[in-house]
Amino acid sequence: MRNSFFVILTIALLICSLGVLSIYSSTYQKEGELWQTIYQRQVLWIILGLFLFYVIANMSYRRFWDWTYFLYAIALVFLILVFVLGTTRLGAQRWLRFSWFNFQPSELAKIAAVVFLARYFSRKASDDTCLSCAKFGAFKGLILPFLFIAVPVGLIIEQPDLGSGMLILILFTAVLYLTHVRLKYIALFLLLVGSALPFMWHALRGYQKDRLLVFLNPDIDPLGAGYTVIQSKIAIGSGWLWGKGWLAGTQSQLRFLPEAHTDFIFATFAEEWGFLGGLGLLSLYFLLIRQGFLIAQRTQDSFGKLLACGLTLMLAIQVVINVAMNLGMAPVVGIPLPLMSYGGSSLLVTFIALGILVNIDKTRAVF
Amino acid sequence: MRIRIVIWGVTAALLFLLIGLLNLEIIHGVRYRELGKKNCLRLVPQPGSRGRIFDRQAEVIAESALSYDLMVLPQDALQREKIISSASRILGISVEELQRVFKNNYLSASVPVPLARNISVKNAIALAELKGDLPAIIVQPNPLRHYPHGKAGAHVLGYVSEIDRWRLTKLKDYGYKTKDIVGFGGVEEKYDYYLRQEEGGVSFEVDHRGRLIRTLGFKPPVNGKDIRLTLDIRIQKICEESLRGRRGSVVMMDPYTGEVLAMASSPGFDPGVFAQKNNAEIARLFKNPNSLMVNRAISSAYPAGSVFKMVVAAAGLEHKKINANTSFVCSGGMRVGKSEFKCWSTHGEQNLLAAITHSCNVFFYKTGLLAGAQAIHDYALKFGFARMTSFELPYETPGFVPSPLWRKLNRFKNWYDGDTANLSIGQGEVLVTPLQVARMTAVLANGGYLVDPYIVKFIDGKDVSRYHERSEKVNLKKNTIEKIREGMRSAVSDPTGTANALSGLGLAIAGKTGTAQAPPGQPHAWFCGFFPYESPRFVICVLLEHGGPGHISSVMAKEIIQEMLKQGLI
Repeated sequence: MRNSFFVILTIALLICSLGVLSIYSSTYQKEGELWQTIYQRQVLWIILGLFLFYVIANMSYRRFWDWTYFLYAIALVFLILVFVLGTTRLGAQRWLRFSWFNFQPSELAKIAAVVFLARYFSRKASDDTCLSCAKFGAFKGLILPFLFIAVPVGLIIEQPDLGSGMLILILFTAVLYLTHVRLKYIALFLLLVGSALPFMWHALRGYQKDRLLVFLNPDIDPLGAGYTVIQSKIAIGSGWLWGKGWLAGTQSQLRFLPEAHTDFIFATFAEEWGFLGGLGLLSLYFLLIRQGFLIAQRTQDSFGKLLACGLTLMLAIQVVINVAMNLGMAPVVGIPLPLMSYGGSSLLVTFIALGILVNIDKTRAVF
Repeated sequence: MRIRIVIWGVTAALLFLLIGLLNLEIIHGVRYRELGKKNCLRLVPQPGSRGRIFDRQAEVIAESALSYDLMVLPQDALQREKIISSASRILGISVEELQRVFKNNYLSASVPVPLARNISVKNAIALAELKGDLPAIIVQPNPLRHYPHGKAGAHVLGYVSEIDRWRLTKLKDYGYKTKDIVGFGGVEEKYDYYLRQEEGGVSFEVDHRGRLIRTLGFKPPVNGKDIRLTLDIRIQKICEESLRGRRGSVVMMDPYTGEVLAMASSPGFDPGVFAQKNNAEIARLFKNPNSLMVNRAISSAYPAGSVFKMVVAAAGLEHKKINANTSFVCSGGMRVGKSEFKCWSTHGEQNLLAAITHSCNVFFYKTGLLAGAQAIHDYALKFGFARMTSFELPYETPGFVPSPLWRKLNRFKNWYDGDTANLSIGQGEVLVTPLQVARMTAVLANGGYLVDPYIVKFIDGKDVSRYHERSEKVNLKKNTIEKIREGMRSAVSDPTGTANALSGLGLAIAGKTGTAQAPPGQPHAWFCGFFPYESPRFVICVLLEHGGPGHISSVMAKEIIQEMLKQGLI
């Protein structure tokens, strides 16, 4: 079953090329050696990602079953290392400095969390193909997995990286729902989270509060916290049907739009390629996500099914949140657009996830 | 199947994003595109400078200078204190004074506050250099109308100010915009189209910090065209000074070409007040009961008095009702109809020469009655009364000369001989402007040509006077003009003449005084004349509003001519 391999590879490569074009467009006018070569670095990451994608697609995903706790532990170690050795950029300590690149452990934590959840909720499945989590009590079905997830999430939120932390929590809720944990537990969980929100408000950093307030009303601080959203909306809105053309977007070229090559790359893209470009890009993401869910539906193995669902959801939630925040429909959080945004960690993790998906599809007949 | 629901949820979310994209890019696209342009396009206007105005000697009488205002952005209090202290050091104004000005002018946090106006170029540069450390400092250049001769010629020049609503609606199609600086009154208004500068500008693209990325377009500003007047600012000043603030007017003109050499109106105003936007002062100018802004030489009409007798003499001579030898006896008055018409003295037997010399009313009553009211009216029109002089400056009044037919048609009244008698000495409904009287005098001075007075000689270096010179021949016999000229000369040279004050200047002057009754109050004092007698180069008309008998004006004319002789202008 090589067809899903090529379908996913084609879609991913298409999205990646659009990403490289947009990164080039948003940086080529900036001075400095680093800016000029940034798209080349992205190409390098893509090549590395493709290599990983190929390797993992040909490596049985069952190994992740075995490596689950090892992966989990590595992710925790890196997250703790960030606090000790991490470099601070843009006011947040999210990166670990290696010889020539910066590594963002929260990206690794995402995939580790997905693998962990998939294994946790499918351990009974080897002798019973029917998912039996419905019989889980509150402790096994909710509290224990939550404690496991809460540790990395807490570390990530402390970085601070509220976006990634929330992403894992949403993923957790979605997996709970998918594994047929009783709805009343999920409702209880959501209720608890909901009731904790007012207390969490005080735990938020100042800029995080500003961003949430600005999301509700961008006009309260148009030159401060609201600036990014306003500029992003202007960039997307001025694209119109056909867009301004590649390399002709004033918002990104003239640097009105901050983070035009990372978190706000969708705005850069939409400004230059217009509504039709945006429609095409969203369609590509839809096809990719659809492939993921098709794989999940085709798989009989419960671990594979859950893993495929979790990884696809991880991609989908990131896409939705990132695009929504570009459109001003979600608060600004540090979540990249998978395969588009500049950044090695996100790209590699995405390719790994896609590789696992392909492998699940390839090996499902074994069971 | 929960997985189906999740898939539907994800699909719905993606659709939702698509709708958001559609909303932003297509439905609100136009608005955001505008916002995007506003973000990165800047237009920096570059004002041109308004055309200059010169007098006939190419002396500048109105020019555009740059003035600099010091302004401060009030957002940063610490910076503000620093700016105020450095400005106080550079400008030599005390810190307390500057702080007081700041408080008075403060509007809101984002509006720059003017601290000092019209600072010198040197200080402006010194202050602008501080901008590196104190970005809240603003040195704003403003084009400012500058008048090197102060009040001289203010009525001729007019003033410049921000366009008013009426002019804006009228001139919108000619490219005038709100906040434009346009001329009001005088040459500034009449030739605003030429004087007016064209604003240029650079449009360029900027990045998020407002730094220039590239220039998109440049339109160079075009300076206004310079205008050169026929006015001689030296004569103008002499005339204005001799008026000494009394209400009145002096017009001096070249009798052959109609070039206006001086046109003074008093009391005057300082046009610089408008340039500096001194609002309190401007309000005071307009409220003054002496109507400072009115150019009395063309915009006010007065009863003519005895200067009108030249018209009556011409009508009598031309219609052969009198000749040079006709004499009438003046016994201090005469009866016309039921009323007694007085002369100002008892002159005895008077021929034309003597009658003009002494300004004898009885002689002219009789001449007028012989010639008839209609003939007087016709000749008044020939001399250019009762219509505009085709002079260039705005707000000219045509004046008025009555006729029996007009009386019948408009007032439904009959014309009586008494009215003719009144008309014969320039009283009654006759209204003339000083410029019209000067023009009439020019006809007598130049031998029978009605010139069109004008004041603009060159526009942008091109001689435009030929468009004015349409002096038409007034159909008068040579003898008629000669007799009247002799009479005017005699009025000055004869010791008993009414304008005898002007004799003894070493210059042959011919002239005629006039005392126009204008109750209540003193009569208007007229004097019109020309000199030198044989080959006239100047026509002068002096009017003093409620100034007393005509003698007063002749004395003023004497002062003017004396001063001109002293300065070697004749």
